[in-house]
Amino acid sequence: MRRTATAPAHVDKARKKDLRFGLMLAAPAVFIVLLLLGYPMGYAFYMSFQQWNDKLGMDHPFTGLSNYTDLISDPQFHGAMARTAYFSVITVLGGVALAVAIALLLNREFKGRTIARVLLLVPWAVPPVVNGIMWKLIFDGTSGILNGLLKSMGLIKDNVQWLADPSTAMNILIFAEMWKLLPFLCLLMLAALQGITENLHKAASIDGAGAWNKFWRIILPNIRGPLMFALIVQSMWSLKVFDTIYVLTGGSGGPAEGTTTINFLAYLTNFSNLDRGYGSAMAVTIMVLVLLVTAFWILLFGRLNRSKGDIND
Amino acid sequence: MTKSRRISRHVKRRMTAIACSILVLLVMLFFLAPFVWMIIYSIYPSQVLQGGIPDLSAANLTAGAYARLFSDTSFLVPMGNSAIVGISTTLICMTVGSACAYAIARFRFRGRQTLLMSMMTVQAIPVIVLAVPLFILLRSVGLYDQLFGLILTYTAFILPLVIWMMVGFFEDLPPSLERAARIDGCSRFQIMYKIAFPLAAPGMAATAILAFITSWSDFFLAKVLTSSNAVTLPVKTAAFQGLFAMDYTSAATAGVITAVPVLILTLIAQKWIIRGLTEGAVKG
Repeated sequence: MRRTATAPAHVDKARKKDLRFGLMLAAPAVFIVLLLLGYPMGYAFYMSFQQWNDKLGMDHPFTGLSNYTDLISDPQFHGAMARTAYFSVITVLGGVALAVAIALLLNREFKGRTIARVLLLVPWAVPPVVNGIMWKLIFDGTSGILNGLLKSMGLIKDNVQWLADPSTAMNILIFAEMWKLLPFLCLLMLAALQGITENLHKAASIDGAGAWNKFWRIILPNIRGPLMFALIVQSMWSLKVFDTIYVLTGGSGGPAEGTTTINFLAYLTNFSNLDRGYGSAMAVTIMVLVLLVTAFWILLFGRLNRSKGDIND
Repeated sequence: MTKSRRISRHVKRRMTAIACSILVLLVMLFFLAPFVWMIIYSIYPSQVLQGGIPDLSAANLTAGAYARLFSDTSFLVPMGNSAIVGISTTLICMTVGSACAYAIARFRFRGRQTLLMSMMTVQAIPVIVLAVPLFILLRSVGLYDQLFGLILTYTAFILPLVIWMMVGFFEDLPPSLERAARIDGCSRFQIMYKIAFPLAAPGMAATAILAFITSWSDFFLAKVLTSSNAVTLPVKTAAFQGLFAMDYTSAATAGVITAVPVLILTLIAQKWIIRGLTEGAVKG
């Protein structure tokens, strides 16, 4: 510490006391997080190197990387990966793009703007399980409202079992998740849009920029930070979607594994098949994927930042 | 010529405004209608609702499903569990988390930046990674399917969020008051809980609400770490809908009951929640 050379003795003493007090305050939280997040995370790695199946017996022989090499050749895992990719690309890219569009719409001057923003919190606040039940009440084949409405409009004659077809079920899952995730992304984008100063808009208009130009040249470059944040957060959420799948499909991830994403497969492997070693390897893989996707967004935006200077920087 | 062009521009602007208003209405309809439909489902008998346009006259209204659930101990116990777990988790998180956040915001000890960043990073760990080890850990110490086990787990998961938000609120406080208090001879502890905490009270309340909502809404961990004794409301609610059979009215009613406390809390703290949710992103 260079400061100690110049600071008088009592200041130095106070600083040391500060330090001790600060550490004392932080200690309990650090202890809880290390014990209940840090330790289990290390343990998950440890488990993923073992053959640990509670159906097979109590001993867990160390098998090195074999759980991971099994993943590479497991068609069930491949299927889950493909479905996760499909789900994530649509919910992340589609979700963020839609959120920007809705935010632009809600950022205009109109009566009830404040109320609209508050109401946006409703889907955000609805617990995910309830979200699943809500859409089940709409899409269910026997008594869902959708069939009733379509029939009364004469568009269909017999009930359609929406959730019985694997790919339709997946698309319904995406739709239901969008409902829940969009409001948060919208609020984020709205806050970002409000960060762009009125002057910037005016200057652009004076320079004769049309709406299209203004969007690409002024708005988008100036919400890059929040945009990156939204993409990262949504990627994390999309990779760990669970509750809605569970409720929409009665805990099965069906029909015919049609909605079984990697996170859901890891759950089934761990808690239905009790194959905890293999399941841990899947879980660790998901974590690595989260890290990779996050790194991807950061690198991509880092590049954008270097190649394009913007006015606010 | 110029006049007609001006009029046409005016008309165009009006048209855009009207189109936008219609779009806003459609968007809001999309966001609200499914939830309203669930409420309708919970207060009308299911025969009325199935097939075609339902007859929603007041004569058909019934609170039967609510009466049934609120007199059913197998529903009331999970509801109580959720309340106990939510309140306990929130209290512990706020005590332990505010202290840690205050330390990070106010004291320059080595590693405080690392600490703050790691609090951000742990939130990115997928829950599935921790679920199995936590299950094994809790089982081995006899806390599986116990409320206390859930409280401990939620505390660990929600603490980083609380710390992250509270650091922001503490950093926003002007340090002058705390300095003055120190000159007046207050101890560091007194300064914290007599000056800083009351000043940060609105932020604390919002953070507490967010902590409670997170704990109350969780399904995955509760599903994995409980089986009968400590089952929470979301787990119970999800159980109304099995793979083959579903009691729709009960499911809708349980859904409304699960969602309403969260909605009320959200609306109470909406200003702070919006700020808390978006601030980190817009700032950083």
